[in-house]
Amino acid sequence: MTSRKRAIVAGFTALGVIASLAACSTGGSASGKTELRVATFPPGADAAAYDAFATQEAQFEKLNPNIDVIGVEYEWTGPTFAVQLAGGSLPDVFTVPFTDAKTLLENGQLMDVTKEVTDLGYADKFNPIILDAVTDGDGNIFGFPRQAYAMGLQYNRELFEQAGLDPDSPPTTWDEVREAAKAISEKTGKAGYAQMTMNNTGGWQLTAGTVAHGGRTQVDNGDGTYTSTINNPGTVADLEFLQALRWEDNSMGSNFLLDWGSINQEFAAGNIGMYTSGSDLYTALVRDFSLAPEVYGLTVIPTEGEDAGTLGGGDIAVVSPAVDDTVKAASVKWIDWYYMQKLLNKDAAIADAKALTEQDQAIGTPVLPVLDRATYDESLTWIEPYVNVPRDQMSGFFDGIFDQTPVGEPKGKTQEVYALLDSVVQAVLTDENADIPALLTQADKDAQALLDGE
Amino acid sequence: MSDTDRGILSTFDRRGRGVRAGMSFVHVLLFGGLVVAGLGPILWLGKAAVTSTQDTITQPIALWPHGIDWANLTQAWFEVHIDQYFLNTVVIAVGSWLFSLALATTAGYGLSVLRPRYAGILNGAVLATLFVPSVVLLVPLYLTIVHPPVGQSLLNNYLAVWLPAAANAFNILLVKRFFDNLPREVFEAARTDGAGPIRLFWSIVLPMSRPILGVVSVFAIIASLKDYLWPMLVLPDPAVQPLGVRLPAIQSQVELDVFLAALAISTIIPIVLFLAFQRVFLRSAGLGGAVKG
Amino acid sequence: MKRTPLTWYRGGGLSNLLFLTPMIIVFAVFSWSPIVRSFVMSFQKTNLITTSWVGLDNFENVLTDPLLGTAVVNTLYFAVLALIFGFPVPLLLAVLMSEVKRGKGVYSALAYLPVVIPPVVAVLLWKFFYDASPTGVFNTMLGWVGIAPQPWLQSSASAMPSLVIEATWAAAGGSIIIYLAALLSVPPELYDAAEVDGASVWRKVWHVTLPQLRGVVFIMLILQVIATAQVFLEPFLFTGGGPNNATVTVLMLIYRYAFQNSLGGNYGEATALSVMLAIVLAVLSFAYFRVTERWSST
Repeated sequence: MTSRKRAIVAGFTALGVIASLAACSTGGSASGKTELRVATFPPGADAAAYDAFATQEAQFEKLNPNIDVIGVEYEWTGPTFAVQLAGGSLPDVFTVPFTDAKTLLENGQLMDVTKEVTDLGYADKFNPIILDAVTDGDGNIFGFPRQAYAMGLQYNRELFEQAGLDPDSPPTTWDEVREAAKAISEKTGKAGYAQMTMNNTGGWQLTAGTVAHGGRTQVDNGDGTYTSTINNPGTVADLEFLQALRWEDNSMGSNFLLDWGSINQEFAAGNIGMYTSGSDLYTALVRDFSLAPEVYGLTVIPTEGEDAGTLGGGDIAVVSPAVDDTVKAASVKWIDWYYMQKLLNKDAAIADAKALTEQDQAIGTPVLPVLDRATYDESLTWIEPYVNVPRDQMSGFFDGIFDQTPVGEPKGKTQEVYALLDSVVQAVLTDENADIPALLTQADKDAQALLDGE
Repeated sequence: MSDTDRGILSTFDRRGRGVRAGMSFVHVLLFGGLVVAGLGPILWLGKAAVTSTQDTITQPIALWPHGIDWANLTQAWFEVHIDQYFLNTVVIAVGSWLFSLALATTAGYGLSVLRPRYAGILNGAVLATLFVPSVVLLVPLYLTIVHPPVGQSLLNNYLAVWLPAAANAFNILLVKRFFDNLPREVFEAARTDGAGPIRLFWSIVLPMSRPILGVVSVFAIIASLKDYLWPMLVLPDPAVQPLGVRLPAIQSQVELDVFLAALAISTIIPIVLFLAFQRVFLRSAGLGGAVKG
Repeated sequence: MKRTPLTWYRGGGLSNLLFLTPMIIVFAVFSWSPIVRSFVMSFQKTNLITTSWVGLDNFENVLTDPLLGTAVVNTLYFAVLALIFGFPVPLLLAVLMSEVKRGKGVYSALAYLPVVIPPVVAVLLWKFFYDASPTGVFNTMLGWVGIAPQPWLQSSASAMPSLVIEATWAAAGGSIIIYLAALLSVPPELYDAAEVDGASVWRKVWHVTLPQLRGVVFIMLILQVIATAQVFLEPFLFTGGGPNNATVTVLMLIYRYAFQNSLGGNYGEATALSVMLAIVLAVLSFAYFRVTERWSST
């Protein structure tokens, strides 16, 4: 009885200790330094990435002894940003995709950094189309576009070889993609072509496919309203393409519930021949999904049709609206140093490249320039000696990208419309008798209701 | 004349050859069915945890065609940091257990033994919550965690999991019922000996309640290990997440064999607890139905 | 006797409070007030900073959501399939188990083991089993008996049944134990009496066992319906609601309203739907108990 009593008392004490430790937040900064919580990588990034970050963190802290940088694992995903903001768990500096930035802007959930950007002196160097994503109606700037990408066709060079295809001559038209997919699935038994279908990525890729076939899924009426044009020849062409590969050629494997993470995993594991995704995917593939670099190939997404282009996107480094002026100043310093300077300043670019190469992090991943083309080209020459991504395996992309028209993602209710389109893509891939015109008409109806509501 | 230890089949029935054969068949069916269906997947997981990815994919049913890959387990434990999530799971489970037990016993004691005037109302209020489906609580409870009545947000704080877990009407009613059935004479005797209510609780009632404490403990711990949606919502920081919440999130970044090893590791606690405390588990499972009946 | 603070204290009022206050506080904060708040919020619109009353707007928006009909149908489908698969099998197994002379303990443990496995692990494991390629675990096993590989989770027709099979596997053990306990408490004299009347094994089951189990079976039935109406984990982890919304359930819809949008959830609509679901279940339970009361003996 006594020992039981002791056990229970011990239990309660332990509980009390645990509870108080847990309740005690990691707030209080010591020694008068400004504590700055910055976003680092998504959960699952390997240790080397964090080591590289630690090097850079140390470099920054040396230049700014009053700032204590704390890296925080970060991923832009639900559950909600609003709650993290309300709950105080949002890092002070974090990144936001273009599509969501506009909404956050309209809701007043981003910190105005116009002054800071102008003071830094490179406000006019940004690519105006990209800067537009972070500017409100009055011209105030709310973030630093830090990275942009275009859609590209990722392919597995090893599977190409096994299928008797030349990995240095990737497909340039959709028909060639179809033939390559067929060859891969017949000769290797792996999926020749795959498509994302879940968690809004289905809609995202369908939009990319639409744009590549010359269509647009949404029209901005210019007065704050949008019209849904999902049922257009480009979307139809893309869905018919998927339908043909899936049901006539059977070259898409047997697993169709794929989101961004799982399709990358399948690709890295050598189970997928080709798929479309962001051009900057290489970094994540190698760092988070253990892709073997020599297997990777990248080319431009085939474009067909009058108005065809390549869907672009990107993200923005922003400051949490919940910070005070000291932290805000520190945040801007960090953003400038960590994200921007390597694009503008030779020494910074080289320092950044050095820190990354030490930990075998990717340098030279194909991106779209957020600044003007000239600055971009120049920055490439600075880091030339450090580039460690197999750029010759991506020649298809580098050679072709600047001939393609970049098209921005639709602005109205982007994520909700993408979610709608997820089921359209899933239907086409899992139901042999999917009626494409009917699906698209219904999708238009539903999307318009979303765009008109609230 | 009557068989006290009989079911549908009487002793006489069982002597018949047809019935004997039938019963042997039943044994085979039960054993085979339960082993294959009940144990099969779990055994497979154990096997796959030490199999390489290639073997698991190309020959899923075969037994280690290319040898046992113990590295999966160490990789899962160290590189994927399963040890951290394992620890989180344990901390959460222990906390839930203690909070649930503390609340259920004190509340049951108050409602059953002490019985102040307002006990009836309280009892009714607690009972009423049993009839409200948990879905109704989801969103407002979440907002309560984000904006608690006192203090800052409880997000990423284990109390956000422990306290709602303790607010379990079923446990309280179980304990109360049990206390109701305790012989009142013992209490009277203790009271005349000068025991106050706290002493009575600690030294008389609790020691007599071992069976129900076991049952409530099982419920609390199993509920904690089974929880997914709630911890996922209130513990967004990966560093404090338990295994159940973390595993789906990292699936795409972890190799299949290591992932299966991680899955296997996360079954250790429940299985060990079950095997060690089988009778308590099975009694509480049966009790669940009896009380509801 | 006049009730003064002193008499209250002497009557043990303080220790009463000591024991009951934790419960009162915890329930007030984490149970009672959220329940009330749920009803209140269903008439409001909030973004965590400002809140406004919008009357029946939330209910209207939910009822006109094109996905609601699908979610309701899917949830019903899941519930019905779960009854078909998940009801007779545990009952039958329990009856068989109650009759074996030895080994009840082992069988009970084996049957209960899947219940002990955390649902997340079970779902992730079965997700792998359900791999639709010819070398998937289940497809390999089907291949042994000459059946073609099935799409399992990859087709809208087979996705829901696949979910139900796993859910049944995971939950059957609990039902088996409960039925077993009930079966073992059937008074033996009833069987003796039936035999005197010349009943065969089957007639004994039909006329004695099943009626005795009626109470437990009725309770289990409604409990299962209430639980399956709130199914979330299986569709969420297996298919995310797909393919093509074939596995979107009401709870998934509530989750989407509240938590899917990274820019801020629609808590008003989420609570409106929760409230509607709760009312439907309450009405259903009430009607059910009225009907079964007439059928039950006790």
